[in-house]
Amino acid sequence: MKRTQFYIFGFSALMLCDTLTQISFKLASNHGGEFAMQLAWFLSIFSQPWIYGAVLGYLGSFVAWMTLLKHAPVGPAFAASHLEVVLVLIVSAVYFGDRLAPMQIVGALLIVLGIVCLSFSEAEHEKDEVH
Amino acid sequence: MSSIAILIWVINVTLDTVGHVALKFAAVTDSEESTELARWKYMLGSLPLWLGIVCFCLEFVVWLAFLSVLSLSQGVLLGAINMVSIVIAGRLVFKEKLDRMRLLGMALITVGVVFVGIYA
Repeated sequence: MKRTQFYIFGFSALMLCDTLTQISFKLASNHGGEFAMQLAWFLSIFSQPWIYGAVLGYLGSFVAWMTLLKHAPVGPAFAASHLEVVLVLIVSAVYFGDRLAPMQIVGALLIVLGIVCLSFSEAEHEKDEVH
Repeated sequence: MSSIAILIWVINVTLDTVGHVALKFAAVTDSEESTELARWKYMLGSLPLWLGIVCFCLEFVVWLAFLSVLSLSQGVLLGAINMVSIVIAGRLVFKEKLDRMRLLGMALITVGVVFVGIYA
């Protein structure tokens, strides 16, 4: 497989698994209510199916991530994979009805811009390196 | 943010950073195995890989606790600080380059996280 195809396929798989994980996490934690260092909290979380969706997404991400890490430096590869934030924000707004304060939306834009910067720097280093 | 949310957030960043550094360590010290299967067999016997796995298992529970006190959108945005700490760790442990673009990215993410955190 060509390097570009490998990256596109790998990062898409990682992004989808990560998004599945985050949605499952939220649905699972909704079941337990606010965190308490009590057995009852853990039991209520682990006795419903969404937690296993998170486990599945986690395992998928792990395999995709370990395969990608073979070729990419840890910092920027991590950043490029984290544009999943955008997908998660869309789902949170549409599905969970999350609303952010105006300054938090500014913060979100800065974060996404920052991730793009880290990814650009990754592309630069990729050109420099000899494979 | 409540103090419990801040505490959970700090634990989460620590576990995530140590976990990623450990996995990168396991991935690069695989002694040039010829096949992918041989590579995985080698990695499964390495201590850093298991340290990484333990960190991520703990982070699994910590992240659940974090999302129980914040909305999902605020949670993932605040979690973006992990990228900053991992780039710093990559610099310290693996001597990865810190050019202007990377510094700018880290600064933007940090300011963005502060904005989200203040109003959370």
